[in-house]
Amino acid sequence: MENTNTISVNPFAKTSGKGKDIKETAVVGITQIAVILIIAILFVILGIIIYQGRDKFSWEFISSFPTDGMTKGGIFPALIGTFILVIVMSIAAVPFGTITAIYLTEYAHEKSKFAAAVRFSIRTLAVVPSIIFGLFGLGFFIQFVGTGMDTAFNGGELHWGQPNILWASLTMALLTLPVIIVSVEEALKTIPRELREASLALGATKWQTIKKVVFPGSISGIMTGTILAVSRGAGEVAPILFTGAAYYLATLPGSLSDQFMNLGYHVYIMSTQSSDVEKTMPIQFATTLVLLILTLSLNLVAVVIRSRIRRKAK
Amino acid sequence: MRDIKIQVNDLSLYYGEKKALNNITMQIPANKVTALIGPSGCGKSTFLRCINRMNDLIPSVKITGEMLVEGVDIYDKNVDVVNIRKKIGMVFQKSNPFPKSIYENVAYGPRINGLKDKTQLDEIVETSLRQAAIWDEFKDRLDDSALGLSGGQQQRLCIARTLAVSPDIILMDEPASALDPISTSKIEELVHELKEQYTIIIVTHNMQQAARTSDHTAFFYMGELIEMGKTNAIFTKPEKKQTEDYITGRFG
Amino acid sequence: MTHFEMELEKLKEVIKKIGTLAVSQVGESVKALLFEPIEGKEVKKTEIKIDKLDVKIDEICQSIFALQQPVASDLRFIMASLQISNEIERIGDLAVSVIKRSKSIKEKHDLISKFEIGDLAKEVELITSKTNECLQTLDEKTISEILTLNKNIKSKGDAIIEHIIEEMKSHSKVVVSGTNLVIALKHLERISDHCSNIAEYVYFMVNAKIIKHEKHEDLNIDKLD
Repeated sequence: MENTNTISVNPFAKTSGKGKDIKETAVVGITQIAVILIIAILFVILGIIIYQGRDKFSWEFISSFPTDGMTKGGIFPALIGTFILVIVMSIAAVPFGTITAIYLTEYAHEKSKFAAAVRFSIRTLAVVPSIIFGLFGLGFFIQFVGTGMDTAFNGGELHWGQPNILWASLTMALLTLPVIIVSVEEALKTIPRELREASLALGATKWQTIKKVVFPGSISGIMTGTILAVSRGAGEVAPILFTGAAYYLATLPGSLSDQFMNLGYHVYIMSTQSSDVEKTMPIQFATTLVLLILTLSLNLVAVVIRSRIRRKAK
Repeated sequence: MRDIKIQVNDLSLYYGEKKALNNITMQIPANKVTALIGPSGCGKSTFLRCINRMNDLIPSVKITGEMLVEGVDIYDKNVDVVNIRKKIGMVFQKSNPFPKSIYENVAYGPRINGLKDKTQLDEIVETSLRQAAIWDEFKDRLDDSALGLSGGQQQRLCIARTLAVSPDIILMDEPASALDPISTSKIEELVHELKEQYTIIIVTHNMQQAARTSDHTAFFYMGELIEMGKTNAIFTKPEKKQTEDYITGRFG
Repeated sequence: MTHFEMELEKLKEVIKKIGTLAVSQVGESVKALLFEPIEGKEVKKTEIKIDKLDVKIDEICQSIFALQQPVASDLRFIMASLQISNEIERIGDLAVSVIKRSKSIKEKHDLISKFEIGDLAKEVELITSKTNECLQTLDEKTISEILTLNKNIKSKGDAIIEHIIEEMKSHSKVVVSGTNLVIALKHLERISDHCSNIAEYVYFMVNAKIIKHEKHEDLNIDKLD
């Protein structure tokens, strides 16, 4: 039998007592509570909206016109109006934003004052309150450009110099421009410098390199940016208040010079100026629900695409 | 030296105020492999990138002196840099295939030169892949993405891509430094085969690689060309002590 | 074949050449010793060729060492080639010395037949050609044959020399021829020795074991691996 006369000390045993443990648990606990709180608030809001709007929420609701002074019927024209708005907005903003992003990443010199000014403008644009865009749209697009067009082409007759879906879309485009530019820039930055060098080293011009190597790599960024812009454009109300949104139109907009109905604006009007607020309450909630579903799902798609881009960059 | 492909006269390069290459004068022989060796930061890669004017991409760079390729100074105002890069190809340290198929990678060069005919493109792709000794490996999967290949395969694909534009000169910037020994020796063997048709200049920090693969070697140190000569002579009886010290591992 | 393998092939070719030339030189020296003196011009030419090839082998080996960093069997091959080339060059030299000596041996036919020098000379020819063969085949059996042959040649040679010295003591007439004959025989012994050295280097090449300077009685080549 061996004589085990050694003092056994376990070098891996837990040291320092309870104090450290309590701190650790406390920090974890606080963060957990914060997360639960946020999720809870979110669920409460969603819950209220879903609960209040569930009666009205149906296929008929989405596909029919409002009737009886907005107390009955559906939101079809508002849906279509919102739809056309974001499409025209995208047509205006996406190419413009993409080209700007390509300029900033590919052509601008690091020390260029012009590029610095552009970047500053984009950042500023991103934080301007949306109502300012609405005022700008009114003053610039409608009163200046629109009236100018009427004087030049229609002999002074009022046609373009008033709120319509074109001016509203362009105003919204200005609002969402920074989002698009940033998304495209982000995607362009994931294209490693070595790929551009490889293309140039094969005897390609800068433009050929952009066309064949850089631009294809930016498509996912353009998609993300567009989707984010669309989800923003679908939900914002302030820019379209004076530039083209209408409370009630009997028909759908037929041309760019027509006014249009809009989901967000619809909720605003119903909750503040409707004839019978009580009766329109369920419609309001249902409309909000539709808008929420639209914007949330768009955002989700954008997030998925963006995380794919980030994974590819690794 | 029989045929001189590149004549460099008093070439200096400045990054802003800092002089990175100091009055380099040397001759690169045609259809031979010339190795540029030297410790890190000695300017060999910078010099290599002068040959196909890739340093033009860095805004603060200024270059003085002459670089004559077959008698024409490539830094002359009348020279189109795009045409230079068609004649002088480059293989980079880290393989950089485009995120396209193997076929499209090799066809990229000919396509940007305006070639559209599918048969001709097919032929060029096959010839280039054969020259790079990877035709058999890839011939049945030309549509596979280039990004799915191993490091060694990607690098040989990049070599094929460079060959597809039929350059005269191929610049290689540490082409095997990121590869395992077997891939490295495949590339070294390839370099040996290619020199029949092309003039090759290879930068390497691996002296043994320079010894194995090159016909001529130039030793750079701190932006200066210290010594240049036949590889056999440099590695058996270098003329300058600095060269000998570097080669024997006494410094650097 | 890779570039490096081609360099090794080049070296093998040159060794084959120098070996063949050495064999022919030894053949000429035996002829000169046993029969009539021979035409000096061809021998001179071959000697120059052998010397040039020896230098070439040195250069090739230096280049391979510096540029190719050979290891393992390649390294042993280069190392052995350098030394084998040296030995072969000596063999060539000695053969020429024998031819020169032969001119000073008068009445050699009597001495030669009396002491069976013809047999010895034939054995030296044999060991030389076996050594050349061994360089090509790297066969271990041949190595042991060469080592054994060398021992025989040595002891036979020494015996014959003793006899000649005895003869010289009793017949002063043959002293001049006898002395030159002894020197020539010593040269032949040395040729055989160099062949044995070459066999040892081949053994090193094949087995990575250095057996030079060892008494080969202690070695039983067949049982080694």
